[in-house]
Amino acid sequence: MIGSRRLLAAVLVWTAAAPAARAAAQASTATLSANVGTIAKLNLSTATASFPDADPDAVPQIPTSSGPILITAKSRANPGILVVLTLQAADDLRSGVNIIPASNITWTATGAGFVGGTLSKVAPVTVATWTGSGVRTGSQQLYFRNLWTHPTGTYTVSLLYTLSAP
Amino acid sequence: MKKAVWCGAIAAAAIALCSTPAFAQATATGSVTVTANVNAKAKLTLGAASVTFNDADPDVTPLLTATSALSVDVKARTAAASTVTLTVQAGGDLDNGSATIGINNLTWAATGTNFVAGTMATTASTLASYAGGGNFSGLQTYRLVNSWNYATGTYTATITYTLTAP
Repeated sequence: MIGSRRLLAAVLVWTAAAPAARAAAQASTATLSANVGTIAKLNLSTATASFPDADPDAVPQIPTSSGPILITAKSRANPGILVVLTLQAADDLRSGVNIIPASNITWTATGAGFVGGTLSKVAPVTVATWTGSGVRTGSQQLYFRNLWTHPTGTYTVSLLYTLSAP
Repeated sequence: MKKAVWCGAIAAAAIALCSTPAFAQATATGSVTVTANVNAKAKLTLGAASVTFNDADPDVTPLLTATSALSVDVKARTAAASTVTLTVQAGGDLDNGSATIGINNLTWAATGTNFVAGTMATTASTLASYAGGGNFSGLQTYRLVNSWNYATGTYTATITYTLTAP
């Protein structure tokens, strides 16, 4: 009987001590922060494009001999924010002293967000727009307006593509 | 345990301080060099392949006029400073197989920008000329001196038109 009381007393002592042991444990939290910043990356399938010579009556709009330019635009932007790809000519087409206005180059485009347009050396022209982040691909077919009045020569111009993710 | 909490807090603060703000604009650029080849070309279109003079009394009609004017369409592309030239040249005198009429009896009047009147010869005579390229159209009306001295017959001559865009 006395042994049973001692056992009961020991159990009570252990039960009372147990909560005290849990209260001594330290709870802690760590805040994990992953920063996703804006970034833009642009890939063009070629660095050069060429318009072959042609009869203006037979081919009034000459496509580039290598076909469309394939464009891959990768961008990370805030939700709802417009990502824009523009194109601007550095100058008119030039062959020595002869000039053909940049507006003689136009394009058609395929791919979501891509639009056709006319080249300008004065201001950037929109090639494509999208909303938010993503990887977008499209193709752009350049055309040269072929006129009898163009002075003969080999004309060159540099085109600058700019992808902006605000 | 407290040490672990403090380390976590310091790490989180460091990440926040060193990261790029989410609202910074990201841009990517690409360029394409475009070349357009514009070569010299010449295209000549005559409204008819034959010209006819009807018979007439030399006293009444000393100068015969062809039954219809000949339309001449010129398209040429050349260097800006070069001159496009259209010439006509007879293969010989007017001939009926047994008699001839001197080809210098054949003259023409012309209308249209850059077209000029002239007298036919077995050497090249200028019908039109202009600097640079472009499209031009004119009408050439042939006339033949009508003389009592001509032997009767049907006379023919071949006229060659040559358009040159250097």
